[in-house]
Amino acid sequence: MRRIGVLAAMVVLVGLLVWAGVYNLRQRRAAMQKAQSQVVLVKDGATPPVGGISAASSTELQGKAAPAFTLVDLEGKKVSLADFKGKPVVVNFWATWCGPCKLEMPWFEEFSGKYKAQGLVVLGVDQDEDTPKNVVSEAARKVGVDYTILLPNKTIAKDYALGDYLPETFYLNKDGVVVGHSLGAPPKDEMEAEIKKAMGI
Amino acid sequence: MKGQVLGFRFQVLGMAVLALVVGASAQDISFGDVPAKKAHVVLLSDGVDVAAGKAQVVELRFRVEPGFHINSHAPKDPLLIATALKLDTGHGVDVQGVDYPKGSAFQLGQGKDAQMLDVYQGEFRVRVRMIADAGNSTMTGMLRYQACDDAACFPPKNLVVKVAVTGK
Repeated sequence: MRRIGVLAAMVVLVGLLVWAGVYNLRQRRAAMQKAQSQVVLVKDGATPPVGGISAASSTELQGKAAPAFTLVDLEGKKVSLADFKGKPVVVNFWATWCGPCKLEMPWFEEFSGKYKAQGLVVLGVDQDEDTPKNVVSEAARKVGVDYTILLPNKTIAKDYALGDYLPETFYLNKDGVVVGHSLGAPPKDEMEAEIKKAMGI
Repeated sequence: MKGQVLGFRFQVLGMAVLALVVGASAQDISFGDVPAKKAHVVLLSDGVDVAAGKAQVVELRFRVEPGFHINSHAPKDPLLIATALKLDTGHGVDVQGVDYPKGSAFQLGQGKDAQMLDVYQGEFRVRVRMIADAGNSTMTGMLRYQACDDAACFPPKNLVVKVAVTGK
């Protein structure tokens, strides 16, 4: 009788463990499907940037008002997202140590000139830690960008639910709503398509 | 009677082991596709045998996760984070120097926008010049690296290096 009791307990334990595993698997699949249903741009043939949970979180900004921020530019001037109300804005997170970031930044520069008449604004938000401002400035100069580079505060990465990788970009329409989001450096034509979507053309 | 009790205990033990294996397996299924924040480089060397008291070179083997690369010790762009191994001296191991392998060329991007990088991919070996005392010691230190694929980069990371050294 005692044996039967112990065996039954063991069976229940195994059952519980398997159920927990299957439950978690279903939860993960649901989360992944939700993430994949959003627009995520990844270069052709490239390994999609990983970090599913974070990716899903930042993609959840899609269709919502972009989190407000006030940061300082390389000249020490305060710049707020609200300053650009009524204009399409690209918020690109980058770092000096990120090769793909520096690959795509000249494209943002090119498009900011190409769509200047449409009021396009590009903001590059640096994500370096403990890197002197002059090094960030020199990196931006070397890459050849002239758009506004902003230095991060302690909350913006959390506000935008950034993943553990760069670059990451948000495309905002003139109402400040996130209408596009890319993880990693997308192909140039896809980047332009996102910019056009933000401009409503 | 004693034998029956012993047998029963073995059955219970067996069931417990089975429960753990099945349970762990089930958990593994659920977390299998969660990449989370993980290391992109692993240390393959766990121990080396050396001649005690003599200057010599040992190779530490590392492996970069498939699909990723890390900058070599001498990246072309000085802003990129160079791979660097910093080893502690003491505790029976006198580290006299570290020599890095040459990187391989990696093309980032295509066409006129392409950039050439100098990287490590797959397995790479760092040569450590050292003198070890007789007996068992531990070589400790840190490998600093920064991993990317061809579309995104992860922040710089530090890999703890711990290698058992046996001086004979």
